[in-house]
Amino acid sequence: MVTRTEEEEVNRLENQVENGGGGVWEYLCLVHKLKLRRSDMVLKHGLSILNDSKKRSALGPEEWTLYEQVAVAAMDCQSIDVAKDCIKVLQRKFPGSKRVGRLEAMLLEARGLWSEAENAYSSLLEENPFDQVVHKRRAAMAKAQGNISAAIDWLNKYLDLFMADHEAWRELAEIYVSLQMYKQAAFCYEELILSQPTVPLYHLAYADVIYTLGGLENLQTAKKYYASTIDLTGGKSTRALFGICLCTSAIGQLTKGRSKEDKESSELQSLSAMALEIDFN
Amino acid sequence: MAEDLVLDTAIRDWVLIPLSVVMVLIGVLRYFVSKLMKGSSQVPDPKIVKEGQVIIRARNLRAGANYIPAKSFRARKAYYSNEENGLLHVPKGQAQNPQAQMFSDPNMAMDMMKKNLSMIIPQTLTFAWVNFFFSGFVAAKIPFPLTQRFRAMLQNGIDLSTVDVSYVSSRSWYFLNLFGLRGLFSLILGEENATDDTQRMMQMSGFGMDPSKTLGAEKDGLDIVQHEWALPKFEQRAEAVLRKLVK
Repeated sequence: MVTRTEEEEVNRLENQVENGGGGVWEYLCLVHKLKLRRSDMVLKHGLSILNDSKKRSALGPEEWTLYEQVAVAAMDCQSIDVAKDCIKVLQRKFPGSKRVGRLEAMLLEARGLWSEAENAYSSLLEENPFDQVVHKRRAAMAKAQGNISAAIDWLNKYLDLFMADHEAWRELAEIYVSLQMYKQAAFCYEELILSQPTVPLYHLAYADVIYTLGGLENLQTAKKYYASTIDLTGGKSTRALFGICLCTSAIGQLTKGRSKEDKESSELQSLSAMALEIDFN
Repeated sequence: MAEDLVLDTAIRDWVLIPLSVVMVLIGVLRYFVSKLMKGSSQVPDPKIVKEGQVIIRARNLRAGANYIPAKSFRARKAYYSNEENGLLHVPKGQAQNPQAQMFSDPNMAMDMMKKNLSMIIPQTLTFAWVNFFFSGFVAAKIPFPLTQRFRAMLQNGIDLSTVDVSYVSSRSWYFLNLFGLRGLFSLILGEENATDDTQRMMQMSGFGMDPSKTLGAEKDGLDIVQHEWALPKFEQRAEAVLRKLVK
């Protein structure tokens, strides 16, 4: 996760870089470290370093990681030629490297040559079955082709081995939600909450899924998770506030006539309604 | 003793400096040899990778148990620790002890041997070489006095109690170099050089951790976790937050 100070630092550097204030390399390092996706910026400024032979050689061995970073960014921006050039340079420097092989496979993927890319990834996995990036690329490729069930298969296979990888769980959860497989999605979000109990995003998403599943028990659970989201965000999450209101009214409809315990919980609803009003005023 | 021993400059030129240079060169050579021998990176066993991941996930479950509903927690607990095919359940008899594992996996023994060879052989050879050529030299003098206790450290190989302790024998100079050149190596060869003997010795003693034992421990830990859902408390906390906000 990116903390607020890190984000501020990135934005500050980005501003500085955009206005020609230097610090390009620091910016690129930070983006790389935080795994941000600012491909256009990386492409533009990374290339400016790579095209300047003096600046480039000043980097020393870091030069090659920059080539890799720029190559990936270029693929993301569909600048296939730039990516190709970068990969060619890397290939010359590291012949037979798996890491470069990965880039080549990604280039095939970026050009939309699915079956070639698939073959490349498979052969990479044969050499090293524990290459997490390749596993993930494969799932991503299936998703990009619109083959959602294959993506789910890949992700499940991957998670069977690397079951502590919460990014993969998150991806799987989002896929399940998009397919309206809410029970499976709920499981994934539970897994995410377990691995990072203080991230409000997961609480909120879990509450959404549970609310959608419906049923009295689920609605009550959903309400609790909306409440925890409110607590974790300090009441800033509009979605959670709405969620509380919706949950309460749904529960009220289901328990019409036998109202014993909703007296106390109604206060939460009125409070969130008030908070919403303040937000919209 | 007031009278000083005067060391021949030839000793400096032919003992002290060659010894240091040779030690450095051997260290560099050993670094490259061990790099060469490491060569092909071995593929880790999928079972071990999976066990590591299971442990992380089970640990997460233990730590965050109170954040998921009771039903989900029970389902997960059963998944991890049931007696038939739970992820954390290690069938009896299948738990290998590390020794047996080492013998069953020749790669592992091979690795150990390579490591040991690259450490021990050069050391023995240089020690023998120093002993043969330079035994008995007083090679250097440190510029400050020391107590008798340092005699064993600095005058290894000279059995004279009358020599002042600040004189360093050649064999001791060898030892000082052996352990003292780490900083220099990390300067020449980069931070993570392979010549770090002290660290390697530590690794050796830590070798032989049994993964099935950690699995069992994790299972026991999971068994005693009392699930107490934390979410009902959050409703009150959310109310408090909102109350503050509305005001």
